[in-house]
Amino acid sequence: MRVDFELIKRAQKSDSAAFNEIVLAYRKRILGTITRLIARPEDVEDVAQEVFLRLYFSLDQLRTAEVFEPWLHRLTVNAAYDYLRKQRRRQEFRMSDLSEQQVMLADAAAGGKVEHDEQYRKKIRESVQSLLGAVSEADRILLMLKEVEGLSLKELEKIYKVNENALKVRLFRARQRVLKAYGSAATKERTGQSR
Amino acid sequence: MNSMRGHDDERLDALLRAYRDACPTPEPSANFMPNLWQRIESRQSFTFSFQRMANAFVTAAVALSIALGVYMSIPRSNPSYSQSYIEALADANTLDIPEYVSPVRLELSDSGR
Repeated sequence: MRVDFELIKRAQKSDSAAFNEIVLAYRKRILGTITRLIARPEDVEDVAQEVFLRLYFSLDQLRTAEVFEPWLHRLTVNAAYDYLRKQRRRQEFRMSDLSEQQVMLADAAAGGKVEHDEQYRKKIRESVQSLLGAVSEADRILLMLKEVEGLSLKELEKIYKVNENALKVRLFRARQRVLKAYGSAATKERTGQSR
Repeated sequence: MNSMRGHDDERLDALLRAYRDACPTPEPSANFMPNLWQRIESRQSFTFSFQRMANAFVTAAVALSIALGVYMSIPRSNPSYSQSYIEALADANTLDIPEYVSPVRLELSDSGR
């Protein structure tokens, strides 16, 4: 844990300096997670602020130190989920968005052939976002936390308050869907190349 | 078919690793904390004004209830409430009224002749 419980207790008593310290301790980590969950750099700070805003107004409900980090993660997941749902209303990510060029880029990423310039990064981000359109926002976040953020099943269990087996099943299904979408995009690309 | 699936699995893992690298953690802007506190304060003031409105509404509702209670508890001075329906009916249609009880007078004058 990056902060001690005394600091949290002070923040619970409306000590703004203590709350500032908590934000500073977790800000970068939350920004990183949100960046990978929503993949829109321009909105990352806004969503991160929403996380800390929710933290500020619900801090008095916290009783024990051990649950603080999973709880902060849950707030992050919920804020990202709300953002993604709003985004989906605005713009649907469809499988057809995964162009042949993006599949080629994914292949190149596997082989490490392409330089990591900003354009390339952007295309990678777009490819993954298109693939993740195959699953719901909730599954997309779960998959990201496991596969990209590298959280363990134990950590996910604490965040979601769901048992490990249920999480495994859900992760497996979500990955299968993404894999299927990836497979069909790759097949499209192969048929395109053979013509 | 399975080897193709396994190959896709590996490629997806690689793509997700590349995605992690493609999404580096950004540096927070200088306005991060001021903006956060601005949002907290605006939410607080909204909550505060909402609470004030709710309190005013509750106070008004309580005052109205008390006023209605007091109004309902005051005994009415209207005599009709002190009588039963039968009594009131009897009073209104009393048989002692002279024009109903007194005998009919027939005027037998000579005019008809």
